[in-house]
Amino acid sequence: MDFIRHQIADGINLYLCETDKFTTLTVKVFVQNSLTAETAAANALIPMVLVQGTRSNPTRLSLAQKMENLYGSALGADVAKIGERQIMEFYFDMVAPHLIPNGDQVLAEGLATLGELITDPLVENGSFKQEYFQQEKTNLGKLVDGLINDKRAYAVWRAVKHMCKDEPFGLYKYGEREQIDQLQPEFVYQQYRRALASSPIDIFAVGPKLDQLPDMIRAWQWQRTTVQQLPPVTTKRDIREQEIHETRDVQQAVLVICCRTEQQYLSPDYYALMVANGVLGVYPHSKLFLNVREKASLAYYVGSSLEGTKGLITITAGIAPQAYQQAVDIIREQVAAMQAGSITDDELERTKIGLISGIRSMVDDPGSLIDRNLIGIVNQELRTPQTVMDSIAAVTKEQVQQAAQGIKLDTIYFLSGPKGEN
Amino acid sequence: MQLIRTITNEPLYHEILGNGLPVYILQKPGFQKKYAVFATRYGSLDSEFEVAGRGIVKVPDGIAHFLEHKLFEEEEGHVFQRFAQFGASVNAYTSYNLTAYLFSTIEYFPEALTELLRFVQNPYLTAENVDKERGIIEQELRMYDDNPSRKIYRNLLNALYHKHPIRIDVSGTVESIQDITVDLLLECYHLFYQPANMALVVIGDFDPHQIMDLIKAQMESWNYQAQEIKRIFPDEPDTVCKPWFEQRMNISQPRYYLGLKGTVRHSGRELLKQQFAVNMIWHSLAAKSSPVFERLYNSGLINDSFGASFQAAPRYAFSVIGGETEDPDKLDAAIREAITELKRKQISSDLVERLKRQSLGSYFAAHNSLDYLANSFIVHLFNGTSFLDVPKVIESLTADEVNQFLQEELDLERSAVSVLLPE
Repeated sequence: MDFIRHQIADGINLYLCETDKFTTLTVKVFVQNSLTAETAAANALIPMVLVQGTRSNPTRLSLAQKMENLYGSALGADVAKIGERQIMEFYFDMVAPHLIPNGDQVLAEGLATLGELITDPLVENGSFKQEYFQQEKTNLGKLVDGLINDKRAYAVWRAVKHMCKDEPFGLYKYGEREQIDQLQPEFVYQQYRRALASSPIDIFAVGPKLDQLPDMIRAWQWQRTTVQQLPPVTTKRDIREQEIHETRDVQQAVLVICCRTEQQYLSPDYYALMVANGVLGVYPHSKLFLNVREKASLAYYVGSSLEGTKGLITITAGIAPQAYQQAVDIIREQVAAMQAGSITDDELERTKIGLISGIRSMVDDPGSLIDRNLIGIVNQELRTPQTVMDSIAAVTKEQVQQAAQGIKLDTIYFLSGPKGEN
Repeated sequence: MQLIRTITNEPLYHEILGNGLPVYILQKPGFQKKYAVFATRYGSLDSEFEVAGRGIVKVPDGIAHFLEHKLFEEEEGHVFQRFAQFGASVNAYTSYNLTAYLFSTIEYFPEALTELLRFVQNPYLTAENVDKERGIIEQELRMYDDNPSRKIYRNLLNALYHKHPIRIDVSGTVESIQDITVDLLLECYHLFYQPANMALVVIGDFDPHQIMDLIKAQMESWNYQAQEIKRIFPDEPDTVCKPWFEQRMNISQPRYYLGLKGTVRHSGRELLKQQFAVNMIWHSLAAKSSPVFERLYNSGLINDSFGASFQAAPRYAFSVIGGETEDPDKLDAAIREAITELKRKQISSDLVERLKRQSLGSYFAAHNSLDYLANSFIVHLFNGTSFLDVPKVIESLTADEVNQFLQEELDLERSAVSVLLPE
């Protein structure tokens, strides 16, 4: 189930995983950009405008009806943030050709439409169609405002923003409201042309009989110039703890603790950090779940997640406002316990088997099989599932302790209701 | 064991065990992951029932969900720990109609399956551990209180229905869970957790005969109490309870949902037809491929959150349409007009064909997901429908039938609105 690489053009790679295991055929295109204050809003807007219509399917209505006729194929776009890169994502997903009448025709039409969506948009007077631009600019602004509707995501975002206020990582993947409001159509269109011509582009496909894909994709309207070199991720070593409290009308308080670490994806002991994060807070057998939820009964959800490119660990818990100090104390104790080497054989083994199972089950889902490579393309080092599993299996308790010693609390953020007493 | 084939030609084995438990084993060649779901026909709708010797019992809201949480606790510790040693991830959910316990794993499937069957058969409840769970569930409920999607939906069902237990949130309320005791939990457990009221579905690349033997061995030791289940269901009037309900919340922009009460069809092919036909009708009105969506989107009245769906089971049927909007009143008028217009013009047979293609495509694509397959099997089984009949039913739908559902199910006389407004 590994991918085979084909070069499409300068800086455009196609990775194919041919298999008849799935009932679908999935293609995803990733256009990589550096995350900067100047371009974040524009890069977020571009995919939203592109899905409004292409030159030969000029409305979203005609695009949607076309997809429906292709046996309910899906065509779409979004934006992702990995480390300090902002990635435009475009996808096409169809029922596997051998399961439907005229499957090859459906594939050819679907892929041509995906190509149009990315490379051949509806252009008027040398820019995106004005109505689409204005409408999607408004929608993007509302999308960013809507972050407040998910209190947990909002709290995590606020915490990260406080921690990384001087680093690109502090930018939201959809840009900031002020930047969006100032977007001009000419600038966004130029940014689109620049990305299409010079951003690193990686295309992944999973499905049966993919031999036609390289030619189909070469036929898209690529107009490539020189490929951009994107800057590496920034890291910060001088860390001072800060506490931030914010008040909003919420029923449940959200605690977020952002930590820095000393490893990233490219560090030799990165997988020790991954295991350390697992022992701390990824699983129901992890220290945070057992101590904050099961023992102290303080939370329904509590856990930690690792951002591997920048090496950040984010801990979140939904708690009662008055439980703030107790929860922070327990979390500190658990991190300190790991740093002192309090990691049992069971914890280590269960975490490793959990991580390895997670990787093995990715190969059962076309989307995960593709998305797991994002961190690899950003760091310019793709790793096969086998390499990752072997690295995890080799991690020792001492290495986990050492990685844990690099975990430093940076920002302790608390979102609570106006009546919350802390 | 009976062998059936799915539409993608995968072998499906089926048997009803001696104790009444239906078992389905689906082989998925080439898949690493293995998946099992063990479920009981017991959900939040089962809030009132008759117990031999006790008469009619009305239980506190949220008790099925509370019991689901509690089954994870064992005298020897938490069930999560036991699955962790196999690298398996175990979980559960409670809905209106059922409680399901499930896990997925790559290795040690027989061991994990044994564990699943064992822990669901063995409740371990003490006053102390029930109290501790109250604290955890209280935080779960507070989390839902901050979730606008859940709130608008809950308000809508309360506006649509007068007495139907679908008004109750599956997890209950902070107040209602205070009344849950060990005795009540055990009473519910013994009544609803008996093999004939349950089902087991397993999916993966394994030897079905070996797995069936293991299941049978594990079922033999189950010392359940066979009792008749008499559910009590209030008579729900045809009308809606409140035509319009508004609430304020800390959100970025207003949300609008229109709900329509449908006709309850009790089981079998009629229910399946209704489910697909009405969802196709809503797709024709509210999906991105609809001119109505295009018009409302271009006028700035809706965004990508807009959509519609129809939910039906043997005890309820309702539709929901809506999403985020700057102007709930204007959207309300536009949707009502679009529904009236659609009913007047009807859906063309060309469009019905396109909608059928779309539905069939989604059905095929769903076969990639073991979770989806297993849970769909269970839901269909409990509804008295069959997941395997879906393609035949979609293909058999005629434009006339679809239009008849359109007249019956999109009934604005039986509609209610739920609106959330920013503070």
